[in-house]
Amino acid sequence: MIRLHDVSLCLGNASRTSAVQFHLPAFEVAAGETVVLTGPSGCGKSTLLNLVASLRRADAGEVTVANVDLATLSPAQLDRHRGTHCGMVLQTFHLLAPFTAIENVTIGLRFGARKRDNTRRRADEVLRRVGLGDRLHARPHQLSVGERQRVAIARAIAGGAPILLADEPTGSLDPDTGREIFALLQEVATEDGRTLLMVTHDPALAAELPRRLDCTGLIRSTIIAGGRDTNA
Amino acid sequence: MSFLAMAWRYLKFRRLVTFLTVVGIALGVALVCAVLALRHESERALSREAGLYDLVVGGKGSPLQLVLASVYHLDSPTGNLPYTDYGKLRRDPRVLWAAPMGLGDNYAGYRIVGTDAHFFDLPDRNGKPFFRLARGHIFEDRFEVFLGSHVAAASGLDIGDTFFGTHGLVDVPGGEVHRDFPYEVSGVLAPTSTAQDRAIFGTLASVWEIHETEDRLHSAIQGTALLSDEEEREVTSILARLKTPGLRLWMADEIRKRSDCIAAIPINEILRFQRGVIGPVQRALLAVAAAVVLVACLTVLTTLHQAAERRRRDVAILRSLGALRSEVAALVFTEGVLLTGAGIAFGLLLGHGGLALASIPIRDATGLVLHPWHMPKAEGIALGVMALCGAAASLFPAISSYRRTPIDDLHLTD
Repeated sequence: MIRLHDVSLCLGNASRTSAVQFHLPAFEVAAGETVVLTGPSGCGKSTLLNLVASLRRADAGEVTVANVDLATLSPAQLDRHRGTHCGMVLQTFHLLAPFTAIENVTIGLRFGARKRDNTRRRADEVLRRVGLGDRLHARPHQLSVGERQRVAIARAIAGGAPILLADEPTGSLDPDTGREIFALLQEVATEDGRTLLMVTHDPALAAELPRRLDCTGLIRSTIIAGGRDTNA
Repeated sequence: MSFLAMAWRYLKFRRLVTFLTVVGIALGVALVCAVLALRHESERALSREAGLYDLVVGGKGSPLQLVLASVYHLDSPTGNLPYTDYGKLRRDPRVLWAAPMGLGDNYAGYRIVGTDAHFFDLPDRNGKPFFRLARGHIFEDRFEVFLGSHVAAASGLDIGDTFFGTHGLVDVPGGEVHRDFPYEVSGVLAPTSTAQDRAIFGTLASVWEIHETEDRLHSAIQGTALLSDEEEREVTSILARLKTPGLRLWMADEIRKRSDCIAAIPINEILRFQRGVIGPVQRALLAVAAAVVLVACLTVLTTLHQAAERRRRDVAILRSLGALRSEVAALVFTEGVLLTGAGIAFGLLLGHGGLALASIPIRDATGLVLHPWHMPKAEGIALGVMALCGAAASLFPAISSYRRTPIDDLHLTD
């Protein structure tokens, strides 16, 4: 489902003589598999997710998602590919403030390749599935942080994307709520056979999953002209 | 949810900023609409009225003053001319219609115009009678009068009512009331949408009688001779319609040369007045209005730019959900178009509504009847230009949203 091979990406200059470079020799995830990405802050976990979500393009190497080499796609095709194949859940929920829970989910189904009929019914269905059947018409500020993350999960799965990308989905939650959200993500991934890539700093949660990728060292400082090669 | 609905919700979410921006645009648009509509309507009304008469003949003085006094009942007359001149003019084969006017008195500020029954035979430019009686009859007795439609409505006078004229053309406190000469209302004219709606029409004989009696009294006191011979009687002015308007200049020149009076061509005087006096004021107002619209468009640009800046994260979220660049740009552009559209709609309403309110005192003061809801062509063009400015202002933040990379904004915190 996901394949990265010898991928490198320049993330900017660290100094006049060195550049910040992401490099991943090889990484593969099978369809329906769940992988947790661990490692210290700034090590490249989110960059890896962004490459898979086609929010970033690799400078070199191969990124294949759902059997499509992302390097071959135009920007508009990348947008469509992302909308069709990837559902994203982020640490700070990223709900749209003017809209209710059901509208946040509906809007996710309104754009690009996700356009579909009966969006309202589908949004209602997924919100009930994540336990928000009675909060359909609440605005983000009227929801608890756990409920907001549930809306974000509902939005990510509503379009039927086979890949779920969760960037520290429990990072803003208290431990109990974090555990509930973690369980919910696993549940929707397992029940629907979705591929789940999840970033977490919580070693206890990471330990519960069978496959982990330690991302330490994916981002490094690379010498441009003279000097010593060091970890970023 | 459509783009329109989404854009509307974003605008509602920032309701104060939205309201202030719409008000800013609306004020500029209202000013432009009001100035253009006022210019068009005043030109139309003034020209229509001036176009009814080909010539106004009066005593030596300013032609514009003569036209304003005789056609619009606004200024003081220039001076009298012999009544016999009226007979000569009527007998001229080139004249289609002519009527005398004797001014001197008013009732509650409305001028009492002494004339003869021939006055009401004035044809409009299509040859149909211009004046029509709403009720009653034209004067049969010397002191019978009938009222212009506005006078009847404003004064409350009706058929059979009597009143006294006051000396002078304007209503001033302590004016000399002619209590020995009561006028009786015999009829009311149908509205003509001209200054004649604000006049009271009586016989020339009544005007002469009132003023000759006054003169007699003054002569008796001063021991001077009295003018009572009809050949020595005077009128304030004579209005004339020629068989063909092409004769206007020729006849005006001829009258000026052969007698001690002037002949003014109303439409020429009014156009000169509009171009010389009203025109520059209107151009200055238009320049102010254009500046206001420009500021309003800049406000739209600033508002949308700030909104787009605040919504960088939202745009990034939409992009992360698979929204195309063109889709988010269209959403931002739709917001701008909605703001501009609402501003133009409210401005249009405000401008013409304001003109509708102003048209009442304008009518009362000048007799000019404006059609405040009529939209002149120039206003349509101005609105089109403003809509284009708004669309152009909306385009900048849309392009900015189109160009942004979602990854830059996605990790902004709530």
